[in-house]
Amino acid sequence: MIKLEALTKYYKKHARGILDVSLEIKKGEIFGFIGPNGAGKSTTVRTLLNLIFPTSGSASVDGNDCVRDTIEIRKMVGYIPSEVNFYDDMYVKDFIKYATSFHGEVDQPFMDMLVEKLELDLNRKIEDLSFGNKKKVAIVAALITHPKVLILDEPTSGLDPLMQSVFFQLLEAEKKNGTTIFFSSHNLSEVQRICDRVGIIKEGKLIKVETVEDIMKTRAKTVRIKTEDEITPNEHMIQFEKINGYVSFVYTGDTKSLISMLSSINIQDVTITEPALEEIFMHYYERDDQDERTH
Amino acid sequence: MKELIKTEFRRNLRSLILWSSIVAGMAALMLLLYPAFKDAFSQMEEFLSIYPEEFLEAFGMGEGGLDMSDFYGWFGVEGYLFVNLIGGSYAAILGGSILSKEEDDKTIEFLLSKPISRDRILYGKGLVVAINLLLLNTLVGLVLLIAFTIYGDLNVPVWLLYSYAPFILQMIFASLSFLISVFVIKSRKVISIALGIVIGMYVIDLISKLTDEFEYLKYITPYEYINAVSIVNDETIKPLYLLISVLIITVSFMSAWFFYRKKDITA
Repeated sequence: MIKLEALTKYYKKHARGILDVSLEIKKGEIFGFIGPNGAGKSTTVRTLLNLIFPTSGSASVDGNDCVRDTIEIRKMVGYIPSEVNFYDDMYVKDFIKYATSFHGEVDQPFMDMLVEKLELDLNRKIEDLSFGNKKKVAIVAALITHPKVLILDEPTSGLDPLMQSVFFQLLEAEKKNGTTIFFSSHNLSEVQRICDRVGIIKEGKLIKVETVEDIMKTRAKTVRIKTEDEITPNEHMIQFEKINGYVSFVYTGDTKSLISMLSSINIQDVTITEPALEEIFMHYYERDDQDERTH
Repeated sequence: MKELIKTEFRRNLRSLILWSSIVAGMAALMLLLYPAFKDAFSQMEEFLSIYPEEFLEAFGMGEGGLDMSDFYGWFGVEGYLFVNLIGGSYAAILGGSILSKEEDDKTIEFLLSKPISRDRILYGKGLVVAINLLLLNTLVGLVLLIAFTIYGDLNVPVWLLYSYAPFILQMIFASLSFLISVFVIKSRKVISIALGIVIGMYVIDLISKLTDEFEYLKYITPYEYINAVSIVNDETIKPLYLLISVLIITVSFMSAWFFYRKKDITA
């Protein structure tokens, strides 16, 4: 549904854009696009919407080229920007009407449902809204047009946990209807919660694409030990930390060697868990750094 | 696109009303003063004769210029300039902000995520500028119609030219600042530059009239293109000036379009 082929964007002024990003997202998939701020997430999104033009390579949505057929793409896309900037002097209801006018008539029952679920006040001016409420306007404006593809750039920032969970319910309902979702975020736990696959972007390069399942299945384990013995970290232990008599690290070696290492020390308490996506993510980042240093 | 035009028009309506009232108000004020000054002009002519000819010409009162004791002449000297300076400023501000405001406020990210092409956005916004300026001049035209009818015979060509010739000047300033706003994103900066052009061109107009040496400068200032002297005395705008005006407006707008359609929006 969404296809990026060797997509590259250099900025004249700013050094980094994105470099050689290739990616294919299937219909009905929720794809998490994660990386820290400045990694190139927004650049990718902006290229898809043709706010900026690719330096080389191409991007397409449902076979439509992002430059040549941008209008076709925008007809089928709902977009939630990371920073919501709407016309301050407009009322929420007028704004949503305006946003919908480019697509056709407002689906009133659906609109009422969205407004009720998100607890949005339609009779206020945009300028009087908090950041979170502006985000809700963006969500309604994006979903109301029944898009085939949703492009979300940090969509949950500003939403309180309750609203985040309402938002995720809405996304799951969209997915059931066959909507393809491109979910850009730096928050891994939310990506882990909702996405089918994850792409990790770093300094403009896509360094890893995997299913959330597979990524969680990597052999890495989070180990937390209470001990008074001295433990010297080896090359399989990353994010090695000592706090209040507890030692914690992510173990990337095989399980057998972990057990034999643990049996050789005097342990008062131990927990071994599946690592959170954050930790795996750090693992990819650190490994990539090491690779760069050794080259 | 209809919805874009409607929304843009509504968003700019308040400033249109404000600026139109100021411009039409200035015209009305100047015309209200006419009866009080009318009788003073016989002495005034004597008084004015102590000024050098170039100076009087600069204000349209020289040899072959305007007769201040006639209300068409009076408006040409006293009211028309304000209409052009203030109306021109409004045009420059409107033309310079209608597009750049979207980028400055970052609302362009919303607009360009909707199925509307950049061409249509430019076209729609350009149209709103033209409509607003036409409305402003129509209001001024109404004031003039009332005043001219009260003061004497209505000369229809002169009335129409006084009412709508400023539209040409305004469109020149609007299209120039529209073009600038493609490159300079900060609305406030665009407006400063655009207002600089409105004032600068007036200064050039004065210089071209005050000195023989720089008379050729008249070809580059829009104030000369719609000169009150040729409106009243010849009841026309010179075809050459009309042609230059249309060229400036078209080239500015087409260039804006040419650069904007390929522009990276990074706001």
